[in-house]
Amino acid sequence: MEQEFHYAPFRVEAGKIREFALALGLRNPVYFNKEAALDAGYPDIPAPPTYTTVIDFWNERDFYQLFRVWGLDPNDILHGEQSFEYEKDIISGDVISAKAVLTDRFDKKDKRFYQIETIYRNQGNEVVRVGRATLIERREQHGAEIAGHS
Amino acid sequence: MAQKLPDIHKNPLAPIDMVRYSGASGDFNEIHTVPKVARSKGLKDPIVHGMLLMGWAAAAIDEWFPDRKRAKFTVRFVGMAHAGEAFVIEGILTTENAGELQIKDASGTGKLVGSFEME
Repeated sequence: MEQEFHYAPFRVEAGKIREFALALGLRNPVYFNKEAALDAGYPDIPAPPTYTTVIDFWNERDFYQLFRVWGLDPNDILHGEQSFEYEKDIISGDVISAKAVLTDRFDKKDKRFYQIETIYRNQGNEVVRVGRATLIERREQHGAEIAGHS
Repeated sequence: MAQKLPDIHKNPLAPIDMVRYSGASGDFNEIHTVPKVARSKGLKDPIVHGMLLMGWAAAAIDEWFPDRKRAKFTVRFVGMAHAGEAFVIEGILTTENAGELQIKDASGTGKLVGSFEME
């Protein structure tokens, strides 16, 4: 049951990194200042550790299109788990291509679980990051808040 | 050799902070920002983006280990977080290169649990 989704190539830009870093309250100057990034040994301003979210959501072929293609309503989806493997830094100026694969889908009680693996590669075709997400679709609405997803 | 890492305290988010994160990340799911939609989905209030909490958790690792490279970082979102709640990030180093962390609210209820490995 393998389903694939290809994001459009996405250019990593310092201004967008800055905006994202500010929204997270990050204080490390490497995200804001090229000199600080160079001093820390980066070739340019690096992307923060969870920046791939920006690549997924601000993409010409974005996560909402993935949801549509896979038949999901984003407002019914909760994020259950997320992991990243850090293979190589993502740096301002990189052009990142990503492929998402639905690796598993199963039902548990009134919830449906989706496991998605996304592999991100830079312009040199090097794998920079591997993301694995578990998304939870609530199949029925509850009057009370659902706490915990385990 | 578990070694406790210094707690990191986070001030409560205002609703506008979640709007700001929506714009910056591109995750505009309305359960994070629009009270009416959140309630229609059975939530008492808009919930904080899980990835905002993971972003904080990743920053905590950087703060604890500024000179080390992350190799792997895994989190589970174990509870819903809301504007107005103060959070604390707690961590322990379990081996030389690996640790665990969690984000809790003031009552001690867990929101995120995670594990990390460094090179």
